[in-house]
Amino acid sequence: MKTINPAIPSIRLSEFVSEIEDCIAATFYGETFWITAEISDVNKKPDKRWCYLKFVEKEGKTISVEISAVFWTQGYAFIEKFEKETKQLFKDGIEVTCKVKVTFHKRYGLKLEVLEIDYAYALGKIEVDRQKTLDKLIAENPEMIRLVGEQYYTFNKSLVIPSVIQRIALITAPDSDGQRDFKQELENNPYQYTFHLSEFVTQIQGDKAHELILSKLKLIEESKEQFDVVAIVRGGGSQIDLKPFDEYELAKYVATFPIPILTGIGHDRNTSIVDLMARQEKTPTKVANIIIQRNFQFEQSVVDLKERLKDRVEEIFDEARNNIKELKRLVRASDPLTILKKGFAIVKRDDAILIDAGSIEIDSEIQIQFDKEIVYSKVIKKKKNGR
Amino acid sequence: MADKLSYDEALRKLEGIVEQIEDDTIMLDTLTQKISEANELIKYCEKKLRSIESEVKKTMNGDDNIK
Repeated sequence: MKTINPAIPSIRLSEFVSEIEDCIAATFYGETFWITAEISDVNKKPDKRWCYLKFVEKEGKTISVEISAVFWTQGYAFIEKFEKETKQLFKDGIEVTCKVKVTFHKRYGLKLEVLEIDYAYALGKIEVDRQKTLDKLIAENPEMIRLVGEQYYTFNKSLVIPSVIQRIALITAPDSDGQRDFKQELENNPYQYTFHLSEFVTQIQGDKAHELILSKLKLIEESKEQFDVVAIVRGGGSQIDLKPFDEYELAKYVATFPIPILTGIGHDRNTSIVDLMARQEKTPTKVANIIIQRNFQFEQSVVDLKERLKDRVEEIFDEARNNIKELKRLVRASDPLTILKKGFAIVKRDDAILIDAGSIEIDSEIQIQFDKEIVYSKVIKKKKNGR
Repeated sequence: MADKLSYDEALRKLEGIVEQIEDDTIMLDTLTQKISEANELIKYCEKKLRSIESEVKKTMNGDDNIK
C-alpha cells in the first residue's frame, strides 16, 4: 500500500475499495445462492428490462436486514414469467425465493444480481395463504359457507336465479376487454332479448381493488330490488393479480350477498376464492351467454306449454265431438222412424200403439203406420205367428 | 228448454236419455218422446260446443299478440 499522508498512515479510497472488492470476489466470485426474502422498493424499468429492488427481513415491523438488488435483462424475463405463472404482481411486500449472485461495483457498492425466481415457492405460498382464507371463511361463517366434499356451498350460491334475467348489475374495469366482451355478447344475442344493464366500473386489480369492488357491491345492495343478478367480470388481457379476489372480506361479502352473483374473472387454470363463493363461469362472454340461455330456456318452456295447451284443446274438442257423434248415432238407431224405414210398421188403434195382438178383435178397425203413410184397415183374421 | 244448461249438464242429461233409450223395456210411446228430447239436446250440445271452441280459439290466438 502506498502512503499518501506521511503524518498518518493512510491509503487512497480506490485502493481501499479495491481491497474490499478483492475480498468479496475471493469469497463470492462465480458463486450463486438461493435466498428467500421479502421484496420492497420494487422499481421496474420495462423499457430497459431492468428492475431495482431491495431484499428485506423484518423483526416485527422493523427491518433488520436490507440489501439492494437488481434484475438485469436476463433476469427480468423471470419477473414476467413469475407474474404469468402466479397470477400475482411482482411488487412490494411479497416473499420470493431467488437465485442471486453477489456483485460489487467501486462506485455503486454491494448489490445482489437476481438471476432466477422460483415460482413453485411463490405458488406454494399463495396456496397456503388461500387455504387459510378459505378455512377462516368456513370457521367464521358456518351458517353461510359450507364445504361438502370439494364443493363450497354458500348462501349466495343457494339463491335461485330468476327464470327471466333482465336487470343486470355489472362490476368491471372501465374500458376493459371484459366489459366489452360481456356487453357485446348481450347486445348481439340471437333472440333479441332486451337487458337493462347498470354498470359499476372500478379498478379490479391492485392493492385497493378488493375494497373498491366491495364498495360497488354495497352500492348494489342498497337497491337490491332493482337487480336480478350481479356479474363480476374482467377481461383476458389482465391475466395477472388475482389477489383481490382471494381477499377474505370480499369473499365473505360475495358469499352472503343477497343477489345471485356470476363471475367471469377470465382465467382458466386458477379459481379465485370469490369464484368459489359465487357461480363461476370463467369468462365474461360465458357469463353473458349463461344469462341469455337462461332466458331462452324460459321462452322455450313457454312455447312448449303453449303447444301442449293447443294440442290438448284440440284433443278435448275432438273427444267431445266424437262423444256427441256416437250418442247421435245411438239415438238415431233407436228412433222409431229409422226402424220404420227398415220395413217395420206400428199398429195403432184410436192413435194408441198396440203391443198385444190379443186385444185386437176380428172386424175391429186398426191403423198401420209405415214410414210415409198410415193404412186404415179392418181385421179379418187372426193367427198365431208360430214363434 | 236446454238454453240455461251448461254443456256438461246437457251432455249428462243426453247420456241419461240414451241409457233409457237403450233399455229394452222402454215403451214405444215414451221412446218417441225421449228421442225427440235427445235430438234437441244433441243440437244444443253441438251448438254449445261450437261456441265454446270458437271462444277458446279466440282467446288462444289473442295470446299470440302478447310479446
